[in-house]
Amino acid sequence: MTDGANAAAGGEVVLRMEGINKAFPGVQALSNMTLDLRHGEVHAVCGENGAGKSTLMKLITGVYQPDSGTMTLNGERLVVRNPNDAYAKGIAIIFQETSLFPELTILENIFMGHELTRPLPGLGRFARRLDYGSMRTKAGEIFGRLGMALDLEARVTDLSVAVKQMVEIAKALSFDSRILILDEPTAALTSKEVDTLFDTIRRLKAHGVSMLYISHRLDEIFQIADRVTVIRDGEFVSTEQVGRVTRDRLVSWMVGRTLHNLYPKEDVPIGEVVLEARGIRQKGVLDGVDLTLRRGEILGLSGLAGAGRTELALVLCGLSRPDAGEIRVDGQRHAIHSYREAMERGIVYVSEDRQKYGLVVPMTVAENVTLPLLRRISSAFGLVDVGREQEITRSYVESLSIKTPGGDFVVSNLSGGNQQKVSVAKALATEPRILILDEPTRGVDVGAKSEIHRIISDLARQGKAIIMISSDLPEVLGMSDRVLVMKNGRKQGELERGALTQESILHMAL
Amino acid sequence: MSTERVRSAPRFRITYQTALLTLMVVLVLVFGLIEPVFFQPDVLFDVTSIVGEIGIMALAMTFIITTGGIDLSVGYILQFAAIVFGVTFTATGSLPLAILLAVLCGAACGLVNGAIIAGTRIPPLVTTLATMNLFRGLSFIIAGTESYAGFPEGFKKLSTTLVFGVVPIQFFYFLALFLIFHLFFVRGSLGRILRGIGYNEPALIFSGLRTKRTLLLIYTLSGVMCGLAALVYLGRLSSAKTSMGNDLNLQVITAVVLGGTSIMGGVGSVAGTFIGVLIIGILRKGFTLLNLSGNIFNFTLGLTLIVALVVFAALEERKKVSGARMRAQVRSAPVGPPDRAAPRGEAGRAPGEISKVQ
Amino acid sequence: MGRKRIVTRESMLGTIVAAFMLFLALSTNFGTVSGLYSMMLDVSPTIVGAIALSLLIFTGNIDISAGTILGFVGFTAAALAKAGYPAVVFMSAGLLVGVLLAGLNGWIIVAFRVPSIVVTLATNMVHIGFYVTFLPNAGWVLNLSRSFTWLGQGRFFGVVPYIFVIALLVAAVTIWIARYTQFGKTLYAVGGNRQAAIYAGIDPDRTVLKVYLLEGLLLGVAGILKATTANRLMPSVFQGREMIFIAAAVVGGVNIMGGSGKLLGAVFGALLVYMLSITMIYMGFQDYFQFALQGVLILVAVFITVTDFTALRRRFAGALARGGP
Repeated sequence: MTDGANAAAGGEVVLRMEGINKAFPGVQALSNMTLDLRHGEVHAVCGENGAGKSTLMKLITGVYQPDSGTMTLNGERLVVRNPNDAYAKGIAIIFQETSLFPELTILENIFMGHELTRPLPGLGRFARRLDYGSMRTKAGEIFGRLGMALDLEARVTDLSVAVKQMVEIAKALSFDSRILILDEPTAALTSKEVDTLFDTIRRLKAHGVSMLYISHRLDEIFQIADRVTVIRDGEFVSTEQVGRVTRDRLVSWMVGRTLHNLYPKEDVPIGEVVLEARGIRQKGVLDGVDLTLRRGEILGLSGLAGAGRTELALVLCGLSRPDAGEIRVDGQRHAIHSYREAMERGIVYVSEDRQKYGLVVPMTVAENVTLPLLRRISSAFGLVDVGREQEITRSYVESLSIKTPGGDFVVSNLSGGNQQKVSVAKALATEPRILILDEPTRGVDVGAKSEIHRIISDLARQGKAIIMISSDLPEVLGMSDRVLVMKNGRKQGELERGALTQESILHMAL
Repeated sequence: MSTERVRSAPRFRITYQTALLTLMVVLVLVFGLIEPVFFQPDVLFDVTSIVGEIGIMALAMTFIITTGGIDLSVGYILQFAAIVFGVTFTATGSLPLAILLAVLCGAACGLVNGAIIAGTRIPPLVTTLATMNLFRGLSFIIAGTESYAGFPEGFKKLSTTLVFGVVPIQFFYFLALFLIFHLFFVRGSLGRILRGIGYNEPALIFSGLRTKRTLLLIYTLSGVMCGLAALVYLGRLSSAKTSMGNDLNLQVITAVVLGGTSIMGGVGSVAGTFIGVLIIGILRKGFTLLNLSGNIFNFTLGLTLIVALVVFAALEERKKVSGARMRAQVRSAPVGPPDRAAPRGEAGRAPGEISKVQ
Repeated sequence: MGRKRIVTRESMLGTIVAAFMLFLALSTNFGTVSGLYSMMLDVSPTIVGAIALSLLIFTGNIDISAGTILGFVGFTAAALAKAGYPAVVFMSAGLLVGVLLAGLNGWIIVAFRVPSIVVTLATNMVHIGFYVTFLPNAGWVLNLSRSFTWLGQGRFFGVVPYIFVIALLVAAVTIWIARYTQFGKTLYAVGGNRQAAIYAGIDPDRTVLKVYLLEGLLLGVAGILKATTANRLMPSVFQGREMIFIAAAVVGGVNIMGGSGKLLGAVFGALLVYMLSITMIYMGFQDYFQFALQGVLILVAVFITVTDFTALRRRFAGALARGGP
């Protein structure tokens, strides 16, 4: 399936990055990154979650500035100050939705900010009016180049994701962009829509547009790309022509790191089944997922971004309604209509975005931890029993080693790792039996990470059942008893601890 | 008491309330120096009588604004309740019935607000903008341009008695309600829920709390308070007309904002509102003594509100910048899916990104 | 590929308005010359005001001091007219006052990032306080002569008020601006997706400031149109007028959250609101029912715009969208 892939899409280099470094506090996102993009090629960029693909794109489009290193465009030094500057220089990135105006028409969206005008008759230089005629012509021509015909007066909000993407592409082309970056473009598309997209990409190639195609979907890369670059942990691994690599090679490049087995996972007796899900379906997101969870077990939920892991979690804890499927808790079938109900059945969910969904940042540690328990720690009158509150907070601060000067400290002053612990404490406060942790160590420094892992192990030892969603492969490997790999909303496979290797997981995930 | 303040409020707010208190004292001194009669106890205490109704409404308004909402209809709920009282009393001669219906009327209005706000996606602003007209219209419909008077002495006594010969009884109503509201706000679970809703409602839902029910409650409560305030107001002014409600909104909202409750929600202070109400009372009394009309008062009050808003906005902008940066990084993700490697929510900044994000 | 839709919200509104007019004409004395004249006279300032507010609402802002701004405009024009200044002068002055006051609102909102609702709530009161206190006679101007009222009381062919024609002209011009200038597009952009607008190179702050200035100008026009219809001016008459403008806009399909809506819709909305209110008068309800009507109209219209009916059907339980069981 190397469709047009090995025709030496040669030609000069249009964009080159050399020695690019970018660091954020606590994390070196990119080190010594190298990349070159040739004229008219489709160049895939590949790596697991967190490898640095997005940061790379943000550097090219001017959202971030590199700490060091150089970028050149057509041989000349390139500095992109901000996204508008990127557009001006002919570099465009295709978003999925965020940069469109939902209530406006396709035509308006394409030309927003750079509409075509013509002078008003008689007033000449003094006044100009929008020239819908030429805009329609140009838009028609752009869409013609893309091989589609759309009703330009349609409102964007009524369009499907695939068509919205086309509008984004048309928008980029309206700036006469010569370099297009497509970031996981097929994430929300049906296979038919993917075909259309690829068609479009081929046409763009023929018109001399050079493209960076970020994706972890190896099948697609083999279908559409000319060359592929693999990034791992912020470092450049290799660039190769697509015709000259195999899937396995790519996977091993993406993974190839030594595994430090620092994970404090003990072997814990695994008990009876506490949670069972069958045939969970949700339109566009989940396609018939089955899952079993046992007491004392840590089930790793792996897969790439967009595979449906968080969506599954939301269904399991009542925050989202599936279209079909059943959930059994302790063998009994329960329809869970709300998070409250889930909590009452002993299921809690710790969100990956603790700032947004987990914590109330200006409140104190104590207030946050006891938030789910408000009713229990309040008297009949509704007054909070401060003694109980302090007691509960203290016990969690101790057991989770939360570094805070006291329970009365405002959460915003804590480090990321400790904030995460507060988030976990909050979940534990209701004494759940089943915990669903979504990226529990995201944005957490190494020291706190292992502490959180210890906590998770402890919880398993106490007989709780844990689902751990994680994109951190070593973490998944180190902590899980079993791993469930998801892809495209479906359960792609399941692996027991003995058979766990990074390659095996990635093979299923990609 | 001070430890309690440290718990739930950033340090900035403690010093703020102290500053407010100082301002209040300064105002009293200033007015007194210009017009020494101001210092006389009966005059000074009269201050509290004229803000009885504002104060009662402002307490509930504090709860509402803390959740990030607003209730623009309070003045008109009061008007409506007062009219209902007048009509009922004139028609039936029964004081208890009139009182009951007035309070129920307030509750019903508040319930309407609460139901719309909690049950639909119409924002509180638009809702109360619309219901304010609705209630105003309803009060006209019932009363026309008549005014109702002739309320019994006993009723008037409820609002005009002087305790110890000096302190108006309204002050005690206000004080009592203040203590209850304050207690529930600072020490009660309700206070936390309100602040939580104002700052981050999803986080509360993720804790299993029923935020919509709470919202319904506080808007209804506001309606009830307006009903009570109507009674107090009537007792003092002893007539009910359809032009009553108009200036009250401004005074109530100004009192709350002045007291340190943030218009954006998440931060609130009932104690601050208490002081804010007193300050407004002092201003009103002072203006009256200096023979400045009610309209100059409104004018000044409007200016005060603007200044207070601007000052708070500027301060919060600065304080919020680090918080906003963290949250903005989390929310923005304009360029593709979030990069797992870049820490979100750390105090880290991404140079060049911030200027693009509000 | 620009096939224009025939069945748009605006054309539906227009049909409703026409049907309503027909109904009224047949069943009441609305159909008479005097009925039509009253309508045209009354609805003209509302049309302009509704357009003014709509432009603001497109950007996601609001101005509830619009009514009192009208009062100032009226006062300025009337006072200068009474003092003997020619029409050019007193009208320009009126327009200027509108621009300045609305511009002040806009500046505070943009410079200090304070929500427009609260700012304009406060400035509303400041305005009232100001004119009652500082303006001579609390802003009342009596015994205005023809030199002032010729505009408001004049008619074409004895039937069509000058101000109606002016209102329609203003409507035409602003509709053109909204549709055929870049400025018009930026309004929708800022209100629809502020972040995307920034990415498109638009400066939201400048846009908001400009739209308030424009609102001020339009309010100036509306104020003059209204003021010149009578030979006395009482600023209090204008207080609360913004509610009608907002109701008209919202009924006309302008989305209160910003980002969409058509000025033509606002025009129809103004007509519709007017006709609803005279219907109520004909049915025997006094005119303070207007308030209740406006309130209900706003609620219903906003509810329809704001509720995502398909999402309601899918019932995403709890969390992000609506929260609760």
